Amino acid sequence: MRASAIPAWAGATALEAAQASGALAMVLGRTILQLRSLDRRELVRGLVLFGYRSLPLSGVIATLIGATVVLQTSLYVQRFGARNYLGWAAGFSVVWEFGPLLLGLMMAARVGGRNAAELASLNVGGQLDGLRGISLDPFALLVAPRVVATSLSVAGLATVTFALAVLWEAAAAFFTLGLPVRVFFESFEQLLGFGDLAAGVIKSFCFGLTIALISTTAGLRAQGGARAVGHAAAAAVVWSSAAIFALDFILTPLLGALLT
Amino acid sequence: MNLRTEKLDLRFGPTAALDEVDLAIPAGDHLLVLGNAASGKTTLLKALAGLCRPTAGAVRWDGDDVYALRPDDRRARQAGFGMVFQTDALFDSLPVLGNVLLPLTNRGVPRAEALTRARDVLGEVGLADAADRFPERLSGGMRRRAGIARAIVARPSVLLADDPLAGLDPHTGLGVARLLLEVSRGRTLVVCATEPPPGLALRRWVWVERGRVTYDGPPDARVLERGAA
Amino acid sequence: MSALAGIGAPWLLLARALRQSFRRGVSLREVLRQAYEMGNRSAWLVVSGLGFFGTVMVAIAHQQARRFTGNITVVGPAYFELLVREFGPLTVSLLAAARAAASSSAELASMTVNEQVEALEMSAGDPLADLVAPRVLASAVVVPALCVLGTVAATASAVATVSLAYGADGFSYMDGRFVDWGDVACGASKAVLCGLFIPAAASARGLSARGGAAAVGSAVTLGVVDAALGCLVIDFFIAVLFLLARA
Repeated sequence: MRASAIPAWAGATALEAAQASGALAMVLGRTILQLRSLDRRELVRGLVLFGYRSLPLSGVIATLIGATVVLQTSLYVQRFGARNYLGWAAGFSVVWEFGPLLLGLMMAARVGGRNAAELASLNVGGQLDGLRGISLDPFALLVAPRVVATSLSVAGLATVTFALAVLWEAAAAFFTLGLPVRVFFESFEQLLGFGDLAAGVIKSFCFGLTIALISTTAGLRAQGGARAVGHAAAAAVVWSSAAIFALDFILTPLLGALLT
Repeated sequence: MNLRTEKLDLRFGPTAALDEVDLAIPAGDHLLVLGNAASGKTTLLKALAGLCRPTAGAVRWDGDDVYALRPDDRRARQAGFGMVFQTDALFDSLPVLGNVLLPLTNRGVPRAEALTRARDVLGEVGLADAADRFPERLSGGMRRRAGIARAIVARPSVLLADDPLAGLDPHTGLGVARLLLEVSRGRTLVVCATEPPPGLALRRWVWVERGRVTYDGPPDARVLERGAA
Repeated sequence: MSALAGIGAPWLLLARALRQSFRRGVSLREVLRQAYEMGNRSAWLVVSGLGFFGTVMVAIAHQQARRFTGNITVVGPAYFELLVREFGPLTVSLLAAARAAASSSAELASMTVNEQVEALEMSAGDPLADLVAPRVLASAVVVPALCVLGTVAATASAVATVSLAYGADGFSYMDGRFVDWGDVACGASKAVLCGLFIPAAASARGLSARGGAAAVGSAVTLGVVDAALGCLVIDFFIAVLFLLARA
């Protein structure tokens, strides 16, 4: 009884994983095919909804990251007597790791959750089939523009977050350590290259793309009622978060080797 | 229990669901609240049961302002109400018997007595054989019956039913209507519907339109024609 | 404004849920069930997430150290202290927020939309004591436990990465010479507070869902955003508090 349950479970899991990755690949492939004929209005709507409307949230995140990173690094800066390098150290950790990671996790919830929920409730309500019924391709209309909009939005928000977080770091360093703002930015400028910044933006773009693909797939696969919509949104958030950590693991050494 | 609303106002954001509703429902009255979709019927029912806090005005149970009562007192006196929800609102994680037991066990009825009472009520609504099934395995009519069983198991003096025949085929609907009339004998019964449900002739009609009561009296077909116009 | 409400409302709900559960009592079985669900569902996420995170942090420390000392074992003890005090609790809370807040808000929102919460009230139940309190109590225990698990996973992966990928002595990354009771208390208090906050934020959004399927979806989104943002805020304030206490 038990012995036969394990292969059955493994089989079902493998099947589920194969189906899910097939669906992901299909969303990605069809989006690339649609790239040249994107629906402009939907793209702009997506950029406003996912990008512009998330600006306040990314501002809050930037503030919290900036202040926290300085609080945490200041201790070591004092311990190792490396005051003049604080700008570089703090900027480096924001651009390389905490900026993309925390922004990615928040956007997995805000953008991914919302995207999955919207597509799922259209799907559950039969509106996607309705579009097909009047020979409109829901993919061209709803999916491809959203995937592009989400990836671009997260990359754009990342840039804003980096800039704001570094400003807050300079302010926090001034108030907690009495470090002149000029010294902070000097070490920042001298030691932080364009490659570092590019690495952060590329990372964020990849996180955005992953969020978009996973949330779209979760939304399109939803079946059932209100429960299914909630389930799709929750799955989008969880899987996006997990994927962000895995992707971070792959991208950090890769970008480190390529760009520095 | 005597129910009464006084200049009852209830708003969700900018939209008024109920607008200065004055309604008196003496104990034992049988009342049909009619109105088009989104006219405020459900909100009225929930306000009567103490589930929706009014923006202004009052709901009174035997003269006491419900929303001025201490939450524990209100909850204790809510035992006088049974409600059949439009969506059935059965707890999906519990079997039918568990759903019907909950109002009793939550009120501290001893387990053995609660079981007997729950099984009796399930027999009364014709679900004795479905006691161990989960709500998702029930047909629409059975779900409605299970909802009624849960509403009456604690022997309330007021039974509220929100569109209890919606989505049922005519034959099942007649059965549910007959069941409602049976179990509401000697109780107050307030039923909401968009049109008079077949088989459920009640002696008093109330027409609700955009949150206001525009007719209150004996059954009268002209009310429906005016409402449809 | 709505962000402020998102941070404030859960504390209010938390206080009411705890008061109500003192009055009525909480079902221990339900608390255990929630704890099992939450731990069971989040453990793999936390272990794999923090496992990846540990490696990434070492890679970044390596890039930083390369420009100065060239010896990545020097930063080992500092890394371990930061992990206990800051990264462990923060990252684990954010993952728990994603996992637990998403499923709690989805569940409570679909119960609310399907009138089951009102049905519970009509059945002499109390949504705060019966639905919210068990989740809060379970999470206040489970999140700190997950923190321990996550810290262990991140440390193990850091040790492995340093030893295998950089050929240095990896055990400097579990050197506790900088870790004092202050660090442990700081990490633990973050974990407990985030544990209390996450289900409260999810429940606040779930119970106030109005409408149909779309409302359930937006409750999930808002619930997770509130929970994650709340964790960041808690993390920041506790960090400030301990810094002031140290000074």
